Amino acid sequence: MTAAPILSITDVHKSYGTYPALKGVSLDVRQGEFIALVGPSGCGKTTLLKQVAGFEDTTSGTIRIEGEDMAGVPAALRPTSMVFQKLALFPHMTVAQNIGFPLKLRKVAPNVIATRVDDMIRLMELKPEYLKRYPKALSGGEQQRVALARSMISSPKLLLLDEPLSALDVKLKKVLQAELKRLHRSVGVTFVHVTHDLEEAMMLADRICVMRAGKILQLGEPADIYYRPADPFVAGFIGETNLMPITVTACSGAQVSYGSDEIVDAQGSLPASLVAGDVGQGPALMNVRPELIRRCDKDADVDCKLPATVTEVFTKGGTVQYRARSTQGLELAIEIQGTSHLPMQLGEDVWLGWAKKDIWVLKPGEA
Amino acid sequence: MDMEVSRSWRDPELWVKALPSVVLQTTCFLAPLVMTFILTFQKTQNFQLNWTWSLATWTDVFTKPHYWTILGHTLFMAVACVVVCIIIAFPIAYGLATRFKRLDNEIKVLITFAFITDATLKTFGWVLFLDKKGAANYLLAHLGFPAETVAFLFTDWATLLGMVYNLLPFAIFTIYLSIDNIDRSLILAAYDAGASKFRAFWEVTLPLSRPGIWAGSVLIFLLGVGVFLEPKVLGGGKSPMSAELIRQTFETRVNWPLGAALTLVLMVVAIFVVLLFSRVAGMRRAGA
Repeated sequence: MTAAPILSITDVHKSYGTYPALKGVSLDVRQGEFIALVGPSGCGKTTLLKQVAGFEDTTSGTIRIEGEDMAGVPAALRPTSMVFQKLALFPHMTVAQNIGFPLKLRKVAPNVIATRVDDMIRLMELKPEYLKRYPKALSGGEQQRVALARSMISSPKLLLLDEPLSALDVKLKKVLQAELKRLHRSVGVTFVHVTHDLEEAMMLADRICVMRAGKILQLGEPADIYYRPADPFVAGFIGETNLMPITVTACSGAQVSYGSDEIVDAQGSLPASLVAGDVGQGPALMNVRPELIRRCDKDADVDCKLPATVTEVFTKGGTVQYRARSTQGLELAIEIQGTSHLPMQLGEDVWLGWAKKDIWVLKPGEA
Repeated sequence: MDMEVSRSWRDPELWVKALPSVVLQTTCFLAPLVMTFILTFQKTQNFQLNWTWSLATWTDVFTKPHYWTILGHTLFMAVACVVVCIIIAFPIAYGLATRFKRLDNEIKVLITFAFITDATLKTFGWVLFLDKKGAANYLLAHLGFPAETVAFLFTDWATLLGMVYNLLPFAIFTIYLSIDNIDRSLILAAYDAGASKFRAFWEVTLPLSRPGIWAGSVLIFLLGVGVFLEPKVLGGGKSPMSAELIRQTFETRVNWPLGAALTLVLMVVAIFVVLLFSRVAGMRRAGA
């Protein structure tokens, strides 16, 4: 890493009474980065955000923003700004007063505030006539923009987003996701975005941090997390996947030999780059994403294949999802580009194949 | 909402549904009110109601300053009671809603108890406490204070004390509910925007608890205007308030038309004051 991280979290623990919500979290966020914290409810992602915002004291560990230790610094004095899950717009203030509130607290002159508010509503593409209205009179998406404008007006170094899009309907969510991405690119502020929506995290973030039970399981770029998950939990959490049991028979420096009763032509070997670092000899899991599996002929020239019966068909519009069961009872998910006619029929016996380069081998663990 | 608005008065279903309410309101509220109004235009002779139309009662009401002095005193006491109650209730309600959140249910039960305990009992309790030879003076004398330090029983101060004591739960309850309703993330948002604790309170908590303060004020004002127990028991009946005057007029003087007229005057003035204040409060909100 070249430049010093804007946010540096080192071994942060947080307990509520005896319940440990964070168990030693360390994370460096680079200047201008868009980072997404994802994980199931109760994984500690929102707790971590609250520690960074300064709403709660950490039990132990340090949080530094631009190298400065934030211990004992109240939320009001931190260079962070939060967009709340429930937006938290002040109902007794107009849109203009809401957006200008952080500047009013900093004793900025009213005419300067008015100019900055105008800048913000232009940036957020809000209509100027909304300024005199109360938040209640605005639609959900407009309120979202007002909340973002209020958070951005004081030029924070870090924008913290606590699942702000979770309450919106799918269509509006898509619009605002695009908006967030545009905003991030145009203002260059570092975004830390908490979400349980994986698709959203993949779409928006430069890096994704997957959390579970108060710990970070994996931190990496979306493609990394998606195609090279650290463990079966991450693999299953980030989208649908197929985890097929295999046995690693030999590990040498650059090659891993494996075998499986199920998979035809599986007595092969893999380069070490397709294997998670901690896999040793013995049982392992072969991870293949549903969209990388294709229908093939019995004697087609593919690296791996197995026979199966189609048990379920889900037409999703752009794609078609299948469930298939192999002869030995292995459940598989397959996703194929949608066409006007279905490439596989319910109950059909088929061969499914995939390329070796699409394999990722994992150590078995809690899924 | 839209469906409600588009409903026509000619819709027979609406009438059927409204019927129970209409009957109840008419028989229990509107009819007595109309009877009271009619009563004020009748005469009395030898403590007997005489059903002849006359304006004598109203002439009496509008020419004798005595009634208006008592009314003014009543309004003053009620407003003073509102002010004192709100000043005392706000910090209590704020503390209950923010610091003692864990005891939420217990607190609500206690406040309910305060409502259902008989006011007469509590008021007489104060007499025993404040009396020249009462508990307060006894304790203070033992602490070295001169005899009869507490000597405001049977004054307006004692009346006000009793009113505040009996009506305080209304203010605590309404303000507690409104503060309790404030979304915690609004306070966090204020801190996040850079507000100190005091500033967050001033800019967010206080304005958002205004509905509770307002509701409590109206309740206490209307109840305060109608008190008769406290001025009689704690005030010693020396400076009666409107409710006591009305009671005397009906019971002691047996002048029903005059009693009815005084009742209507009190009602109209009280409603007028509430409307005036709500107008001022409403304008402040619109202007804010």
